[in-house]
Amino acid sequence: MKNKILYTCLLMVALGASSCSKWLELKPQDGIVREEFWKTKEQVDAAVTGIYASMLGTGTSTPLAELLFIWGEARTDMVTPGFRASSSENDIVNMNILPTNAFANWRTLYATINYCNTVIQLAPGVLAKDNTFTQAQLDRAMGEAYAIRGMLYFYLVRTFKDVPLKLDATISDEDIRPMAKSSADSILNQVVLDLKTAEPLLPLTYGNQAKDKGRATRYTVNAILADVYLWREKYAECAAECDKVINSGSFGLVGTFTSMFDELFFRGNSAEAIFELQYDAQKINTFHPMLLSSTRRWGAAPHLIEEVYGIDVINAVPIVDKRGDGCSLRANDLTIWKYMGANDAGSALRAAEQSYAHWIFYRYADILLMKAEAINQMDQPLEASRLVKSIRTRANALDFGMVMDSTDKQGMEEYILQERQREFAFEGKRWYDVVRNAKRNNFANFRYLTDMVGISIPRERQQVAFNKLKDENSLYFPIFLYELQSNKLLVQNPFYK
Amino acid sequence: MKNNLSYILAFGLLSFVFASQSCQKMDIKIETTGDVNIVGYLEKYPDSFSLFKQILDRTETSAFLNAYGAYTCFAPTNTGVKTWLTKKGAGSVDAADLETLKDLVRFHLLLDTITTSSFKDGKLPVPTMFSQYLVTGVSNKGGQSSYLINRQALVTQSNIKVGNGIIHQIDNVLEPSTISLVKQLEAKPEYSIFVQAIKETGFYDRLNTVDPDTSKRWLTLIAESNQALADSGITSYAALKAKYSKTSSPANANDSLHMYIAYHILDGVKFLGDIITSPAHQTLQPQEVVSTQLLNSEVIVNEDEFNGVVEKGVTLIRNTSDNAATNGVWHDAGAHFSVKYRKPTAVYWDVSSFPEIMKLAANYKKASFTWTRQSEANQPIKDHYWGWGTLASTNIFTYSYSTTSSVTRYAVNFDCNQLPLGLPSRPIWWEMMTPPIIKGKYKIWICYSRSKQSSSSNQLCQVTVNGELMPRTINFTDLRPKGSDAELEAIGWKQYTEWREYRTDSNYAGKLVGTYEFMTTQKQQIRIIPITGTQNNNFIDMIHIIPVDENQVLPRFSTDGSKKYF
Repeated sequence: MKNKILYTCLLMVALGASSCSKWLELKPQDGIVREEFWKTKEQVDAAVTGIYASMLGTGTSTPLAELLFIWGEARTDMVTPGFRASSSENDIVNMNILPTNAFANWRTLYATINYCNTVIQLAPGVLAKDNTFTQAQLDRAMGEAYAIRGMLYFYLVRTFKDVPLKLDATISDEDIRPMAKSSADSILNQVVLDLKTAEPLLPLTYGNQAKDKGRATRYTVNAILADVYLWREKYAECAAECDKVINSGSFGLVGTFTSMFDELFFRGNSAEAIFELQYDAQKINTFHPMLLSSTRRWGAAPHLIEEVYGIDVINAVPIVDKRGDGCSLRANDLTIWKYMGANDAGSALRAAEQSYAHWIFYRYADILLMKAEAINQMDQPLEASRLVKSIRTRANALDFGMVMDSTDKQGMEEYILQERQREFAFEGKRWYDVVRNAKRNNFANFRYLTDMVGISIPRERQQVAFNKLKDENSLYFPIFLYELQSNKLLVQNPFYK
Repeated sequence: MKNNLSYILAFGLLSFVFASQSCQKMDIKIETTGDVNIVGYLEKYPDSFSLFKQILDRTETSAFLNAYGAYTCFAPTNTGVKTWLTKKGAGSVDAADLETLKDLVRFHLLLDTITTSSFKDGKLPVPTMFSQYLVTGVSNKGGQSSYLINRQALVTQSNIKVGNGIIHQIDNVLEPSTISLVKQLEAKPEYSIFVQAIKETGFYDRLNTVDPDTSKRWLTLIAESNQALADSGITSYAALKAKYSKTSSPANANDSLHMYIAYHILDGVKFLGDIITSPAHQTLQPQEVVSTQLLNSEVIVNEDEFNGVVEKGVTLIRNTSDNAATNGVWHDAGAHFSVKYRKPTAVYWDVSSFPEIMKLAANYKKASFTWTRQSEANQPIKDHYWGWGTLASTNIFTYSYSTTSSVTRYAVNFDCNQLPLGLPSRPIWWEMMTPPIIKGKYKIWICYSRSKQSSSSNQLCQVTVNGELMPRTINFTDLRPKGSDAELEAIGWKQYTEWREYRTDSNYAGKLVGTYEFMTTQKQQIRIIPITGTQNNNFIDMIHIIPVDENQVLPRFSTDGSKKYF
């Protein structure tokens, strides 16, 4: 009998012990833990590449390019929602953004910011572990992380105004804690600090055209800094940053004699580009289903050709703006051509698996127009007009409507804003451009906003929209409801009470 | 045996321990959700809503607002209720008049869930349970924008989702209007002339009654202030009467003063937000409409273009319009306007110059262009539309342009509109909206370019105008018959193109489909319905709508669009 008990116990021990071998192992089976990572320079490199990869889209949240397109264009007169547009998208167009709006979710940006933070926090430790890892390599990695973190915070400030400023990495669950918002100004100070830190760390070139356009270089930092200074109305600093890029001689306007569309947008990585998100056949963007006419969520606004690019009815050989039909958009079915087109005749579309038009963060034309805007504010409208002229000459722009008056600062300000609309159509810049110009000098030119919304918003909602816009807080998105619920320190933007 | 027993005992004990551990009482939720309902929410925040909750209790509405349903509740805070009570002279909720309270509660409730996304310039999509509409807007005070409800209360917290609907917290009590349209105007001395005209013309009762039948109750009145009348030189009722009343009895329906007032009353409740969504509105004056549009965010009445001449319209003043009354809404006109009598004028409509093609500089008067409708819901061209054909590839509308093809070489501007038609699989009708046509009696000519897809093709169609069937058919495969102008006109045909030899020009045919009397001056609808045959090659060049008493044959049109009178 004793044996029976003994055998039973033995059996249990045997069964239990044999099945339990894995339980004692605490490391995950399907990944690498931090203690085993961050040991070699290759791993640092992989982590930096991961920052860029996360910007292309990870599949769990709205990809950055799609988000920036909607943040920068949906509230403007550039686009109209298509028949597949979601209610969230229609609400943005109608200036009815609720905290439940799917595009008010900032997690895409914070995920990438966390990758940057991780590199900034852990890469320096590798220097001691890997003798082949040089200080120069570390500097480069740190510079790239600082630059991209700065840029993403700049997008967050322009979209949400006050946001939580997270500068250390969330490495384990213990790091998750509620965070309050920081003021837009303090975040922008941090952005400038990040970019200033990154500038000396980054190389001027990686010795390869594709890498120079897809990885942050020192010129990328100059471009972002110029944009930040312009937003903060520091014009001398903005012009100085622009000059760094202009004087480098590494960039130029493409497509003066060749096809601007083909070089700049279809192929990508052109000599004009400063920083692009490089989609390719392995990683395509989400624009194809979004813009294709049979599944369209977004199309170009119908007035663009007539009222923005202009139709020449005077000359025997009409002057046609290169940036209009067949470049920014295809006029006959209002397809957004920059991301959908395959030729500049407006006849061939990209196939679904070809949908890898790059997302251009900054290009040389942007530098020229930012400088023009800055020096115009510094009372040099004549010099500003020359820069605008160089952009217009490249594009073979048609003179119609408002006349460029190089003696009138206010007129130039408006003209530059219009030129930016033509030049950067659908590149996610229009909303920020209009807000930046409207808010200057305490909303002296509030009408830029109402003029724009007067075109884009349905007629029966105009008055409501105009009065909403008068509240400065309405220019910024609400904090997404899920974030409010999970982070109790967050306070909703007062406009969305 | 004893050992055996103890083994069983030990085993039993062990299993008991396991069993008892797993037998912890489960926490079963009997509600499907923990969300509170509207009243539950109000109870949760007595600091804000105790008085409104008291009102609900007193009017016995708490029970149904705490039950299943889909409501929108505008909940006034305690300060708002207190202000209202003081205004009404009641010390507490219990002291207030019960019927007033009941109406008040009904006015704060909607039988639907309406979030702020549905708030626009004008009324909400559903009326309150008091059966008056609420008007929404946004007000901006000190740089802060808030939703404004009925111009009475600001939304201080919005879109609170509760189990049976949505709550919007407001800072004041909403008060339904208790007086009629005409009474509201009467109370304002600045409308005295207009009100007197309403009285004299016999519209007073119509504008004062609240019809229990809600389909007949609502009216929209466009009032003219004394100032607006004075700007047109009318400073007294006598002057107004002298100007319009020609029969000495303004109550007579044939009297122009009667017509003047009737022309200022629209059927239905139309806030400015509703007015701009439709291009024309029927007035109480039979067969007369006011046209409306939004120009630079101003609502303009009767600004129309007739034969290239723009007639200036009248602005409705936004901040003094949208006044809700028990039986409708009234607006404030910025200037004096009245019924305009226009002489019927011919419209030679070139159907292939529509805004969508004119925007395509590379195509308009240069090259053909085809629109494909991706789905039945898709409408690429505003004024040209067709019934969806089951064969999806035939849902294509072509702007056809060529200076050489026999189909368009003599067409006006060398262009036509082309649409496949016919059962069983091609589009089942083709509809277009004409430019504004002045009311009157007209002959309608369809001017097409004849074409056959194959030698056996046939495409017989009937034509309706504003839904009314025309007596004569057209066939897109018929050549124009031979004969002199007079002979052709006698059988209802004409050569609408510049005069050429028959053998080169016989494709271009104008066929009379019938005579129609347009009852109102506005854009009219023409629909072509295939009845026999089916083909792709249906080309329309122009539609002539010519008053019956005018020359039907001339002018003809040359390829550059100019008129030829020979």
